[in-house]
Amino acid sequence: MKTKHIFILFVIVALVQIGIPAQMIWNRESILDTGKAFKFKTQPVDPSDPFKGKYIYLNYEMNSFPSSQETWKRGEDIYVSISEDSLGFAKAIAITKKAPKQQAYVKATVDWSVNNKKEIRFSLPFTEFYMEENKAYDAEIAHRNAQRDSLPNNTYALVYVKEGEAVLANVFINDIPIAEFVEQ
Amino acid sequence: MNSRLIKELPELVANNVISHDVAAKIEDYYSTKQTETPNRLFAIFGVLGSLLVGLGIILILAHNWDHFNRMTKTILAFIPLLIGQVIVGFSILKEKSQAWKEASGTFLFFAVGSSIALVSQIYNIPGNLSTYILTWIAICLPVMYLLKSNMLAILHLVFSTYYAFEVGYGHFSIDETPWLYLLLIALALPHYLELLKHKASHNITSIFNWLYPLSFTIVLGAFVNDLSELGFLMYLLLFSLFYNIGKLPYFDDQKLRRNGYLIFGSLGIIILMLIMSFDDFWFVEQLLFNAQESYVSFVLAIANVMLLIWSYNRQWIKSFNLFQYVFIVFLIMYLFQLNLPTIGTLIVNVLIFVLGLTTVKIGVDKFHFGILNYGLCIVTALVICRFFDTNISFVVRGLLFVGVGVGFFLTNYIMLQKQKRNKEQLK
Repeated sequence: MKTKHIFILFVIVALVQIGIPAQMIWNRESILDTGKAFKFKTQPVDPSDPFKGKYIYLNYEMNSFPSSQETWKRGEDIYVSISEDSLGFAKAIAITKKAPKQQAYVKATVDWSVNNKKEIRFSLPFTEFYMEENKAYDAEIAHRNAQRDSLPNNTYALVYVKEGEAVLANVFINDIPIAEFVEQ
Repeated sequence: MNSRLIKELPELVANNVISHDVAAKIEDYYSTKQTETPNRLFAIFGVLGSLLVGLGIILILAHNWDHFNRMTKTILAFIPLLIGQVIVGFSILKEKSQAWKEASGTFLFFAVGSSIALVSQIYNIPGNLSTYILTWIAICLPVMYLLKSNMLAILHLVFSTYYAFEVGYGHFSIDETPWLYLLLIALALPHYLELLKHKASHNITSIFNWLYPLSFTIVLGAFVNDLSELGFLMYLLLFSLFYNIGKLPYFDDQKLRRNGYLIFGSLGIIILMLIMSFDDFWFVEQLLFNAQESYVSFVLAIANVMLLIWSYNRQWIKSFNLFQYVFIVFLIMYLFQLNLPTIGTLIVNVLIFVLGLTTVKIGVDKFHFGILNYGLCIVTALVICRFFDTNISFVVRGLLFVGVGVGFFLTNYIMLQKQKRNKEQLK
């Protein structure tokens, strides 16, 4: 193969290499721009990823829904319709196997179903919030300390939702972004 | 090695071993040869440098710098990628040396990884490790062929294995099989075959001769749910396949240290069989039909048989070597449920002993002290394992040890004598 041809092929490959992260960015930006923001009550713990760094893993309070007779398989996609409760936090109002048309919804994964309780357990997809490496552990501690206040769970994740796709924008403790809260 | 030879030339001339003319010719020959070979050292250090810098960048970016806003972070995600692409593009366009291509390709590989990682980090994209690695190696694969880069092929193999490991053994993976690993390997095979065809005697080819069996050994277990059932048979079949590949004249005629398949296969078979030689083993083993292990084992068994038939037809198999056929015995034992504790243990122990003797014989035939002593080590290992089975009397165990020890002395002594005689005959 001639050098020129190799070079042209390489340019195509290079464009793909740029295109994939660029497309990831494009997707998320559009959700942040035009999606609707919801607050999900959560509890953070801090693990880490060898390539992406430290993050806090978020356990959401919204993780189950009473189920009808439908059979659910582990690992299956589940569409959770959401709306805001009186305090302004997200709450699940329905679960379906196909994307609903009217309400806002998020795509989650089925963990297991508890048959005798007639309940479906699911995982929301936005469980990782990346933080500066020395702050992630502090964030877990800060959350635990904030829990000791008399208030009920006051840690929540701000998530933008658009057509089932979701972007986790920030995590708040007592309405202060977690990164700032840790610095205090 | 060449430089050592050149350094010794004056001494050889001084002692009238060779003439001045011959010395000059030898020197000439090596100096022209050296200019022809690319600077290998430069390539190795270039690759090593890129590897470290690339990994370093990933780690630095993984710190998650809070002070940068989203825009700055996004730009940072693309800078290493663009730099890598420009250097690779430059080395292609200017037709730079292979060293350039290897080093720039390695850097680009890690730059791609870091840019995807950073974007996931900025937008808190959860995706698991395996999908991330899969995307990463998929978009770097073409670069390996465009640059004809060996280092990228190694990275591809290592990360494909990492991917399969994550999918198969990872935390969150239950019932998952890394089928895509097979595709990833298939996509990298043309590069390996090219090396085998045109660069059979190069060191880089023997590196792959070791890496491929290593990768397969790691990954095989990821293809089944539960290793406890047919795992032993499956791995035995894999090692047997390695051994039979290593026995193909193409590999067998090369130096032993280049033949990763043969060494991997032989060691694997022996270690597995030593484990199987314990009494308790055969109580647990049972054949389960309909499990994925059975299918994987079946495929491996067929591959073994096909390879043997092929070798036989080509008349590559000249003498009987038990290592090549030992898998058949195990297939029969599993298939016909012959896994009665006493019979299984007995057969395996006898087999190991015969394999040890076979190896000693190969060592004697080839006049290879390494192989000879490896065979004796097999027998020793067998005796040591039996040492732990308390139901053999101490006297018998003691006699076994003495016997093997004497065997070590005798065989090595006889070989040495033979070698001396051969040398004298040559004189």
